[in-house]
Amino acid sequence: MAHQAHAYHMVDPSPWPLTGAIAALLMTSGLAIWFHSNSTVLMTIGLILLLLTMIQWWRDIIREGTFQGHHTPPVQKGLRYGMILFITSEVFFFLGFFWAFYHSSLAPTPELGGCWPPSGVITLDPFEVPLLNTAVLLASGVTVTWAHHSIMEGERKQAIHSLTLTILLGFYFTFLQAMEYYEAPFTIADGVYGSTFFVATGFHGLHVIIGSTFLAVCLIRQIQYHFTSEHHFGFEAAAWYWHFVDVVWLFLYVSIYWWGS
Amino acid sequence: MYYKFSGITQKLAGSSSSTAYAPQGLRPVVPAESSTMIFATPTKVVSEAGPVVEYLGANKVPDFQRIFQTSDNIPVHLKRGVPDRLLYRTTMALTVGGALYCLVALYIAAQPRNK
Repeated sequence: MAHQAHAYHMVDPSPWPLTGAIAALLMTSGLAIWFHSNSTVLMTIGLILLLLTMIQWWRDIIREGTFQGHHTPPVQKGLRYGMILFITSEVFFFLGFFWAFYHSSLAPTPELGGCWPPSGVITLDPFEVPLLNTAVLLASGVTVTWAHHSIMEGERKQAIHSLTLTILLGFYFTFLQAMEYYEAPFTIADGVYGSTFFVATGFHGLHVIIGSTFLAVCLIRQIQYHFTSEHHFGFEAAAWYWHFVDVVWLFLYVSIYWWGS
Repeated sequence: MYYKFSGITQKLAGSSSSTAYAPQGLRPVVPAESSTMIFATPTKVVSEAGPVVEYLGANKVPDFQRIFQTSDNIPVHLKRGVPDRLLYRTTMALTVGGALYCLVALYIAAQPRNK
């Protein structure tokens, strides 16, 4: 290998951007084909290709960072900026759903009965399962901080235990939300209340599942000694993401569950 | 008037009778030997540590670092050898095959249904 006189990461040529792009093509075209000719073959191929791309691309990033040492301090700084920009874009994604919710609820149209919740809609009690969910997510925020401090202080066992606890709390939240969805006395098709409720909380639930997966990958990497007390950005990115999901829930709880009921 | 030795100003200062007989600035007994040190947590001095009991398996990161840092001009996604190549070729086959199938499916879907 030629001598490198700078701290930046010169990446190897990679097939994953191409396979990822084709996966997106297959999934979107597959969706159209599904609607058009009731066949999910193309969409399934696209999904499998997307999963293969994600697994191998992120596997390569672990190789580059942990095994080849390409994630030098300036490279880590770039990763930090990347994650910050990504989470910022996610904030604006959720802002759109909150906008839709407040647009519909602050000045309810006559068709809704001029009131919010719309007349005829029976809402969920915010002081039952949603309050428990709030407590569960706040507790998981505590355990993820415990995990971070354990990693920073080289407490391997505690880091594994607290990270496991965080993931379990994440799964418990998802389980409780699934129960709530099953029990909900309204549907996504019940006008603007159901639409805004299920789209906002549904995308939040999706983000909880993604965050739990991200933390689970971190747990596996922690067990395999990938994180040192100084260098563990993969975990920090997961923790940032988890806190973001937590904060979005607080807004959802206060706006849609509590004020909105 | 009673006095006591002030530990802050290092001078005698006025005080009440009770504090003058139990002065704060002067210690009645100075221990001749330093007491044994008590550490808050079990210390981990590398040289003193015996065979470490590994929790959930041993650290294989140095081995992987050796594998992935060999300079053989193989790109990172194929560096592990056969399993990497197998996974890569499966993915590429799906990419090419899927793209062709996609074009055919879209072409058929674009044909108007006569009759």
